[in-house]
Amino acid sequence: MTMTNDRDTDMLDAAFAAARTSAPAPSDDLLNRIMMDADAVLNNAERMRTPPRIRPSWREMLFDAIGGWPSLGGLAAATVAGLWIGISPPAVLGDYSVLLSGETIEVPVWGTDILAGLEG
Amino acid sequence: MFDQSEHQRDAALLAAFAAGDRTAAMALSERLTPRILAQAYRMLGNRAEAEDVAQEAMLRLWRIAPEWDANRARVTTWLYRVVANLCTDRLRKSGRGVALDAVAEPEDGAASVASQMQDSARAHALRDALASLPDRQAQAVALRHLEELGNPEIAEIMDTNVRTVESLIARGKKGLVARLRGRKAELGYDDDQ
Repeated sequence: MTMTNDRDTDMLDAAFAAARTSAPAPSDDLLNRIMMDADAVLNNAERMRTPPRIRPSWREMLFDAIGGWPSLGGLAAATVAGLWIGISPPAVLGDYSVLLSGETIEVPVWGTDILAGLEG
Repeated sequence: MFDQSEHQRDAALLAAFAAGDRTAAMALSERLTPRILAQAYRMLGNRAEAEDVAQEAMLRLWRIAPEWDANRARVTTWLYRVVANLCTDRLRKSGRGVALDAVAEPEDGAASVASQMQDSARAHALRDALASLPDRQAQAVALRHLEELGNPEIAEIMDTNVRTVESLIARGKKGLVARLRGRKAELGYDDDQ
């Protein structure tokens, strides 16, 4: 065990006093480095708070391209109307169809004359 | 030593920084950097190394800001602990204190050159001796005799009780005496008696 005495205590006190020299003031360079670190930490935290943007699928891109739900509603209405007109055209459209494609003629597919030729 | 309102101000600034306030970081840097740089310089005796330690300690503070609990610790107490740990790590890794020619000369024009050199040699020898002590003893001695903190505050910094701090300081000082005795004449101690 090392014993200490007054002379040792004085020696230590002198050593501590020598080491307690006036400390330097922080340089501008040090303060700038510290603030650069703070900025980096802040920027990183900001990135963590903002969720990354997910790339939309091709269905979403197509949906957006045609104008979204409002346009899709109009498109559906037009489709239904077209289908209805095709199945049951109004009378007024009959005249126009004659003008565009000529008169309608009827051709019997299974005419009696043809069947007669086949009979022995 | 900071009073309670200053501790609360540190905590408020740290919370503001965590919320994204850059000016809070500037205010904290200006308040805390001189203190931690001084602590590191007194333990390491080298300005460049002390600046690196101060920067590292502040970086750790920025990183812990979002999780900071003002009810659990004071910012300054936490920084004392971080700086003490970083300095003892550096002293340990270097194997001994910094080179004598890296020790800054005192700028007091009244002191003789011989006296300044003797003070530098003594400070250097003390840091060498501190570097060879167990970490906890070195930290306790440095906080008591270089930072001149009270034992209760040292106990808080080292996360222990006052009795343990007293024991660490007593053992640390005995260790320092044992290491410095052989260099008494070299360090001019005989002339002082």
